[in-house]
Amino acid sequence: MIHDALLILWDCSHAVEKQKEVVTYANQGDPEIFARITDVAKSHHKIQHFVEATGFRSRKSNMGLKLCGLYSQALSEGFSEVLQSYKKDLMEVEGLVIGNHNYTLSFVYSYVEKYRGLFNTLNKIISTIEQRKLTGCQILSLLHQYILNGSEKVREAILRIFSCVNKVFVNQLCTWLLYGELKDPYHEFFILNNQVQDPSDTFLSCPSSTNTCEKSLVSTLQDTTLECGYTLNTSMIPYFVPLSLAQEILFIGKTIILFGFDPKKEKKNSSFVASRTLMPLQKCGVESRRFTIWEDKEAEFHEKLQKLKDPEVFEVCNLRGVIREIKECVTRHLWTVAVEEAQLIHELKLMKDFYLLGRGELFLELLRLTAHMLDKPTARTSTRDMNHAFQLAARAVLLSNSADIEKFSFELPYVKPNVSANTSIEDDSSTVADGWSSIILKYDFKWPLHLLFTPEVLARYNDMFRLLLRIKKTQHDLHALWKTYKQSTSFKMCQLHNKLMFLMDNLQHYMQADVLETNFSRLMDAVNKTNDFEKLKKAHANFLADVLSQSFLTVTSSGESDSSDLTDSLNNPVFCNIMELLKLCHSFCGMNDTVDDKEAEDYYIKGYSDRFSKLVKQLMQLLVSLRDRPCGVYLARLLMRLDYNRWLSGEAQLTQSVTNMLRY
Amino acid sequence: MPSEMITLQLGQCGNQIGFEFWKQLCIEHGISPEGILEEYASAGSDRKDVFFYQADDDHYIPRAVLLDLEPRVIHTIMNSPYAKLYNPENVYLSKHGGGAGNNWASGYAQGEKLNEEVFDIINREADGSDNLEGFVLCHSIAGGTGSGMGSYILEHLSDRFPKKLVQTYSVFPNLDEISDVVVQPYNSLLTLKRLTESADCVMVLDNTALNRIASDRLHIQNPSFAQINTLVSTIMSASTATLRYPSYMNNDLISLVAPLIPTPRLHFLMTGYTPLTADHELNTAPKIRKTTVLDVMQRLLQPKNMMVSLSPDRTNQHCYISILNIIQGEVDPSQVHKSLQRIRERKLASFIPWGPASIQVALSRRSPYVHASHKVSGLLLANHTNISSLFDRCLQQFDKLRKREAFLEVFRKEPMFKDSLEEFDESRGVVDDLVQEYQAAATPDYVHWNPESSQI
Repeated sequence: MIHDALLILWDCSHAVEKQKEVVTYANQGDPEIFARITDVAKSHHKIQHFVEATGFRSRKSNMGLKLCGLYSQALSEGFSEVLQSYKKDLMEVEGLVIGNHNYTLSFVYSYVEKYRGLFNTLNKIISTIEQRKLTGCQILSLLHQYILNGSEKVREAILRIFSCVNKVFVNQLCTWLLYGELKDPYHEFFILNNQVQDPSDTFLSCPSSTNTCEKSLVSTLQDTTLECGYTLNTSMIPYFVPLSLAQEILFIGKTIILFGFDPKKEKKNSSFVASRTLMPLQKCGVESRRFTIWEDKEAEFHEKLQKLKDPEVFEVCNLRGVIREIKECVTRHLWTVAVEEAQLIHELKLMKDFYLLGRGELFLELLRLTAHMLDKPTARTSTRDMNHAFQLAARAVLLSNSADIEKFSFELPYVKPNVSANTSIEDDSSTVADGWSSIILKYDFKWPLHLLFTPEVLARYNDMFRLLLRIKKTQHDLHALWKTYKQSTSFKMCQLHNKLMFLMDNLQHYMQADVLETNFSRLMDAVNKTNDFEKLKKAHANFLADVLSQSFLTVTSSGESDSSDLTDSLNNPVFCNIMELLKLCHSFCGMNDTVDDKEAEDYYIKGYSDRFSKLVKQLMQLLVSLRDRPCGVYLARLLMRLDYNRWLSGEAQLTQSVTNMLRY
Repeated sequence: MPSEMITLQLGQCGNQIGFEFWKQLCIEHGISPEGILEEYASAGSDRKDVFFYQADDDHYIPRAVLLDLEPRVIHTIMNSPYAKLYNPENVYLSKHGGGAGNNWASGYAQGEKLNEEVFDIINREADGSDNLEGFVLCHSIAGGTGSGMGSYILEHLSDRFPKKLVQTYSVFPNLDEISDVVVQPYNSLLTLKRLTESADCVMVLDNTALNRIASDRLHIQNPSFAQINTLVSTIMSASTATLRYPSYMNNDLISLVAPLIPTPRLHFLMTGYTPLTADHELNTAPKIRKTTVLDVMQRLLQPKNMMVSLSPDRTNQHCYISILNIIQGEVDPSQVHKSLQRIRERKLASFIPWGPASIQVALSRRSPYVHASHKVSGLLLANHTNISSLFDRCLQQFDKLRKREAFLEVFRKEPMFKDSLEEFDESRGVVDDLVQEYQAAATPDYVHWNPESSQI
């Protein structure tokens, strides 16, 4: 009888069948105890079965296919380690029983009874894994949850198992963090190389998740998808790793991969193009990058990471600490590469000079050469003509020698005129795509500045560029008429022209001093203060976001979900108003050619003056509705300049409440 | 090169201030007196080409035309280290060299006689530029050549180049001391008429104020011409800074001038500059520590820094038509808005009641080759209605002489005044209108003011 029990405990599955034939029990309570022993044996059997199914030895067999993976393998190793003590106890009791026949069944049970709790827990783990089909880091996560257990024995056992699985995790983490390699044949890590998938599907920090526009604008501008196809696999992130930490881990690895793409270390052109498309990892010079990034810190970080294998040390805060240190090191290196090698500061100045029209004289000349072209809908040859004009203008202001000019080029997307009835009506009514609204300034930057100047960022820069170019053009047109009106006799005409000019001049002054120069000097301060690339990136994102919002190019109505839709920037009421004013000026400048007789002139003057007053009044009234928004502050600044001698507000005959607001 | 400016220097005074101006530009752009770019200046991103052009041999040559009827000043220039700077073809001395005898009529008549030769030079210079924006005329309104010949050239520049801007730097005589030119009031008035009718923008450089500033602010007992001219060249170079140092805006002359001049005839601009230091004081004077934008802007609004002497505005009726500040140096741009706000709150400047007006602030770079004694410096260009008091004084002086019919013989000698002195009365009318228009511009009724009716 006892032998039967021992046999069962030793896990002979076929022995289970036999036990039913046993009828004679030595003691009265024996069937009860036997049943209990059978229970323990059964749960041990299940564990054993799982271990065999997933363990190292079974890898080749077909059975383990479903559950194969480094983590489950480590798990079964852990299990068998824990089972060792059970087996040892069993051996001991067997020896005793063979030596002395007087031992009862309950004596045997007393030996195995303590394993009941443990086996139950393990079985629970197993069934959870099987039910939920957990793999990889999910197993790690599950185990971590079981560590906190009241029973000291169970806790210890789970810790041992956890440390086995954790080793796998730490090793993967280590290679990823230090070398940017993903040693993950079974897709068990929480970072995924999904070159096939569309990265935007799993892209976590996509803007729609953030609520207010200001925030989301900054964050989208900061989002730099390091284009190498690695993303987070959210379902795999262990529960004890916060999302932000996971993102940092992802970032570090990506950055290290990125260093591998440094065109200077590779054959020049091919890999530069490749780094922006997707290139398999193995190609890049792994050896060379290992040493340049870490210098002497590699061993230190490695050691720190290896220490995490000890489950007692493995705390989230420790992990975070190490990650932070590594990240700091990586971003500092990135800073060196970007700021010192790629001359980021110079490039930022170029952005200001070109996208933000810092080289006013160049764009003035360009406007002279191309205004007629940009007024018309773009033609097929527009892009070429524009670039040609750009070269001419650059030569005219003696910039042609500069290598910087080569980095910039224009594109005027040619849209084939649509013949179908529907679209043509739309076109007529709202947007005939003239050059002013469609022109794109392109910029060919040095590696690795694509981290900073993402397509999104460049698109925003282009928004600014188009607005500034338009203002400059309108101002230029108005100035060109100055001499004409100076010789004219119509005082009214003169005054209207003067008002429009005043508006444009002050808009420009506001843009230059209050928006561009102020924010740029702030950016430069920030850039000079830090040597952390992340901070630099953040400062730049802030700069651009501030410039955009202060130029009224963003939607500031918060709360609604569609407000974060950045592409639809035309919603801003202030911007709409300014655009209307620009249109008014534009048509005023055009009027000069068409009007001859005095009567018609008076008619036009009245029309334009009324429209001007209406728009200015609207602009002032907007201040009331926008006063709580950041946009309102900037509108107040603009209006302070426009209404400096309180003439416009007096003229607009505003209500008391608006007038009170206009104290700025 | 777009937006080129051609400088015309006329007469003794015009050539003197022109000479100082070019000296200053050469220093600021790192160009040697021979016109060769200094090595340290080869990488600059400044625009030398607005005022200079590059000859084949990489010499920088000023777009300047030097004209005079008597040789003294031009000879001094030609014997200075800067002699080789100028294009010798652009230096024109009248052959008989007798000058205009401080007589407007003589200068005007000689201008007429020599106009072919003079305009040949100007045309050639204009043809040599890609996109000429306008002319800068340096002259004095009191003497003979600058005022008389200057008047003739002004009238004909606008005929020949109707689309180009004409800006003048006009030196007004020192009314505090008795001039050796007795007919100065006549000369001034006759020139003022041309400045009103033919120039687009007149920068008024008032010798009275310049002398006062030199003695009061710079503590120079008897300021020499050279010292006064240094003041002038400082103003000239600062007022062209945004053209020469490219930035976001104010890249051409029109964008400086147009916002300042809302109505056709009120185009006489005052200037102010701060901080001013004389060379001899550089080392001893206590440094002006407060150099914030607000301080600079506030100081610029003080009458004592103004380079035009105005009669005190007792009734407080006069006001600014427009203001442009050009701030150079290390400026925190965010201060601009705050300063504007403070000035507005404290009502430090009063503006016209009939239209929009504001203080526009242009931030500009400074030459990296000139050691600046101050972190921030500012130039004020202002259109102020009280400038009429200056013209009013000219009128009064004119009337004093005219009543006595004094010194008219010298004018009668010239063909223009042979038969009648109508020109005097007509000029007086124009200047009187100008004074009245300025006074009207200080009132809200200016909108209904009709320049046509009062002119006839």
